[in-house]
Amino acid sequence: MTGTPVIGRFVLAALLVGLGLALGPSPGAAAARTVYVASQGAGTLVALARDATAAGTPLAVGRSPAQVVAGPEGRLYLAHPDTGTVTVVDGAGGSIRQTFSVPGQPFGIAASPDGVHLYVGDWAGHRVMRLSARTGAVEGTVAVGREPAGLVLDRDGILYVADRESRQVSVVDTRTMTRTATISVGQGPFALALNPAQDRLYIANVRSGDVSVIDTVARRVVATFTVGGMPYGVAVSPDGRQIFVTDQRAGHLVVLDADDGALRATVPVGRYPEGVVITGHQAYVANWFSDSVSVIDLRSLRETARIAVPDGPRSLAILTEDER
Amino acid sequence: MRLGVPALVLTLLSGAALAHGPTPQKVDQSIVIKAKPDAVWKVVGDFAGIGAWHPDVARSEGSGGSGSGGRRKVTLKAGGSLDEGLDEMNAAGRTYSYRLSDPDLKALPVSSYSATLTVSPEGDGSRVEWLGRFYRGDTGNEPPEDLSDEAGRTAMNRYFADGLKGLKAKIEGNAGP
Repeated sequence: MTGTPVIGRFVLAALLVGLGLALGPSPGAAAARTVYVASQGAGTLVALARDATAAGTPLAVGRSPAQVVAGPEGRLYLAHPDTGTVTVVDGAGGSIRQTFSVPGQPFGIAASPDGVHLYVGDWAGHRVMRLSARTGAVEGTVAVGREPAGLVLDRDGILYVADRESRQVSVVDTRTMTRTATISVGQGPFALALNPAQDRLYIANVRSGDVSVIDTVARRVVATFTVGGMPYGVAVSPDGRQIFVTDQRAGHLVVLDADDGALRATVPVGRYPEGVVITGHQAYVANWFSDSVSVIDLRSLRETARIAVPDGPRSLAILTEDER
Repeated sequence: MRLGVPALVLTLLSGAALAHGPTPQKVDQSIVIKAKPDAVWKVVGDFAGIGAWHPDVARSEGSGGSGSGGRRKVTLKAGGSLDEGLDEMNAAGRTYSYRLSDPDLKALPVSSYSATLTVSPEGDGSRVEWLGRFYRGDTGNEPPEDLSDEAGRTAMNRYFADGLKGLKAKIEGNAGP
């Protein structure tokens, strides 16, 4: 597989020549953090430079990327369930480095902080695979619940998997690729997010319309926060005090107090919002139906910009400058 | 690995012609009706009463009331039925959201959907927007043509468009010249 990076560059070159595409903020833009948006309908990745009002030129990444995650050294990894592939993108360079062929329907994806391993959920295969982030080779698998959706990896190598059709979170020790616990949550768990201290895990339950709060030390649910609608994405503020939940039915970003679930704000965004990420004093929300990204100021809790992106944005990831 | 190059390029560039994978799809239809929003809502806001205005519907039976949690079983003239539940009824905002409970591929070639119908003022009349998110009938990676993304898009857009045309005809017909 040592030739794969060359193939990746060749493919990008073909795309650039054939379609005139490029990615990334305009040359010279000194963006401290850049938000990347994967559009499943369009099959693209776009960069939103800090304070940008328009997206960068889309990079064609192959059909139907469902989820994107950032790794070290400016890498971004995209999972394509339709085609059974994982794409490795050099974010700053705006190029595809590699395309891995992966068994099953790769959906949720996480990258180890050292950039050595990828963890990929197989939606239809009810398992999580560990891949070499360099070659894409499958290094191990572990069975989880039905339809694994979101994946999140903590700093100690513990992976949490939202098993959508099993109403549970699977806890996987990635060193041994064994499932060490399952924790029952609400109905239709889809997205999950750890707080900065990593002692709380928040799970957005699509069908029960709430957020389950897991104590990651005790490994049990300690609270359930009512949101209403269809919560499809969740993120935690940098200070850990607020959680941000997208409600796909109402088209809202719902802001809750992380301690008691008290409603802090309901911010109207686009239609069918899904992924949400936080960087600095801003939240970015992918509006799947509206083909846009809402930018929300965390101090005023108001939408300050709405940026058009290609068809069907679902997932976002952040690269920071020291990673690029 | 040299042999892999053209295959990979082909995979990346030919994707749009394929129909694979569990990718959510959009349905989005709207229509302008020459009647006040309240008059339009009086007809379309009755969740179980879809049989009164949708030309593709043979009959509709409601249960569980007309608020959130209410249900309707919609039998189509062409065969099959749709078992749908109200997620949210907002009469003041003239909008409701609902979803399919169990797929019936004879009725519509989709495995699941959620949808929202909204009546809003437009000029002297109203605009009715009916939109939703759905997954194709076969969510495996090799669906037959009649259960593909394209088949789902065609069927859902036609069903919503037919309904809105029927709604317009019923209301504007009843309103007289």
